[in-house]
Amino acid sequence: MDAASALPATRTVQAERHAEWLIALGALMVACGGLLLGVQVDANRGFSGTGYAAFALGAVIALVSTIVRARGTQGLPRDFSGAFAALAAFLGLAFASGGVLAPGGPWMLAEFAALLVLGLRRPRDGSRWIASGALWLMVVLFVFRLWITYQGSRNHWQVLSVPIPILSWLPFDFLAPIQSVSLGSFTPWELGLPPAGVDFAVTLGLWSAGFALCAAGTFVVQLCAREHENDRVHDVIRTLPAPMAGLVERLLPEEEWETLGLHGLPTRLLCKRIEALVRERAQRQREFAIAFERAQLLALTHDDDFSGAIQGALAALERKPGQTKDA
Amino acid sequence: MAFPSKSPIATRAVMALAGVLFVFALLVRGAKPAALVRPEDTPAAEPRIEQPLQLLARGAALRVAELDRWISKNQLTEWKAVRGTVFALQDCPPTMDWLDGAEGQRFERCVAALRGGTREDALASLVLVFQLARATEWKPGMLGHTQHAERLGALLEGWLRSWSARSAKDALLVEPALSATLLYGRAMRIAWRAPVLGYNAAPYERARALLNEIAGESGHRSEFGEALQSRHPAAARGLASDKDVLEGLEEECAVIYPKLVGDCEDR
Repeated sequence: MDAASALPATRTVQAERHAEWLIALGALMVACGGLLLGVQVDANRGFSGTGYAAFALGAVIALVSTIVRARGTQGLPRDFSGAFAALAAFLGLAFASGGVLAPGGPWMLAEFAALLVLGLRRPRDGSRWIASGALWLMVVLFVFRLWITYQGSRNHWQVLSVPIPILSWLPFDFLAPIQSVSLGSFTPWELGLPPAGVDFAVTLGLWSAGFALCAAGTFVVQLCAREHENDRVHDVIRTLPAPMAGLVERLLPEEEWETLGLHGLPTRLLCKRIEALVRERAQRQREFAIAFERAQLLALTHDDDFSGAIQGALAALERKPGQTKDA
Repeated sequence: MAFPSKSPIATRAVMALAGVLFVFALLVRGAKPAALVRPEDTPAAEPRIEQPLQLLARGAALRVAELDRWISKNQLTEWKAVRGTVFALQDCPPTMDWLDGAEGQRFERCVAALRGGTREDALASLVLVFQLARATEWKPGMLGHTQHAERLGALLEGWLRSWSARSAKDALLVEPALSATLLYGRAMRIAWRAPVLGYNAAPYERARALLNEIAGESGHRSEFGEALQSRHPAAARGLASDKDVLEGLEEECAVIYPKLVGDCEDR
């Protein structure tokens, strides 16, 4: 009997509550982050919203990413906690994606296209909420958004102004138009800045905290949603008599439950799926045992070559602890 | 890491709170920024001086007598005498030369006294300074005599230090104060660029320090800085320049007072 089957019932219930509690906590982080990413502070310390355009595109990215992650699976959230976790994860991704996009203009659409392309890639690790390429791009875009907001707060309406060597050193005003080259110009309307201008320091703090909360909250929610689904499967298995449940969990380790498609199934289908998997794996085990028994009939003629070594290792499985080869 | 056991009620409560915050996070994105309402656009509940900028313009002589009823009693006599002198000034004397004379000294005393009085007194003080700028010569010329422009700048600087912060929300003073800032920028820029070769750094540094003080830095603008931003964005943008913080003020001043360049052409 493994460690999981030896857990008392009270600890099982507590573990489930931990998953639900962390889903709630992660959702709260996402909500706070979304709130912070949705406001900006102007120079008069007045609050205003960042608009719906970037959030709408962020929602599209979140939708695409969710579809990509759910591709090939038939699971759906089956209880309130699961559904709430799915909603929180979706909103978290939408808030974070919308929060890194420029608020308007061609910049926003170009960034949206880039994020969408990377968002179409499925993350290698199932626990990840987005492909690592898209995550890094989001970080870069967030820094870019902070930079152009900083430029806008200084009334510099270009991404970068590069001084031209020699020309920029000459102290003649009539050369001013050709002393530097402006790269990536934009307008206050594209940035959605309030009429009084943006208080960059405060807004930077709000957005940075918001982005961190959204990213961390979404990560927590996704992890705990998996844990919560594992709890559901665990509950179904625990309806069996304890020794039998232990055997089932040995045949179907918890780490494989998601890849085996047990997450998100309705209880009736879940039972049938477990039943089929147990039958299949038990059959495989049995076939292996029979094959092994037959292999024992072969003489171990060459103990030092490759086949002999494999035979010896398999034979060693059958010996009791402390029993020698000769005995 | 061991988490404390949480009851389902606490979990549900946190979820409900998160749900409320989700809704709020969506709604807050649509919050519109507060519209900028200029002080002079608010309805007046009491009689006030209409169109105070006219008192700083070329036609100020036509209305300057209107100020008499607004001036404090203890300043009225002096005000009438000084305005009579300065509005009758002829021959375009150099600013500093005139200020160093008897009439000029009386003018300076009157300007300082009015500056310390009521808001109407402050406006009258500024009217006198603007008339001085029109009626005297403060252009440095080929020889680079910048002391006249710097003296005019000092008069405007004193007024701005006293009234810029208070004027930002004052319907009477906000526009005159901004005009004073523009003229100050022009005078100090003229002094800064007076030498044929190189620059006269002192007036520029003085102006930059004052403008930084009264308008604030970009991102942390004062109310007066916001007023400047909303009415003269080019001037406000120029304040963030690394090379020439006065250029924007000069540009805006050239629009409002094209001939007020220190050669008495604007009389």
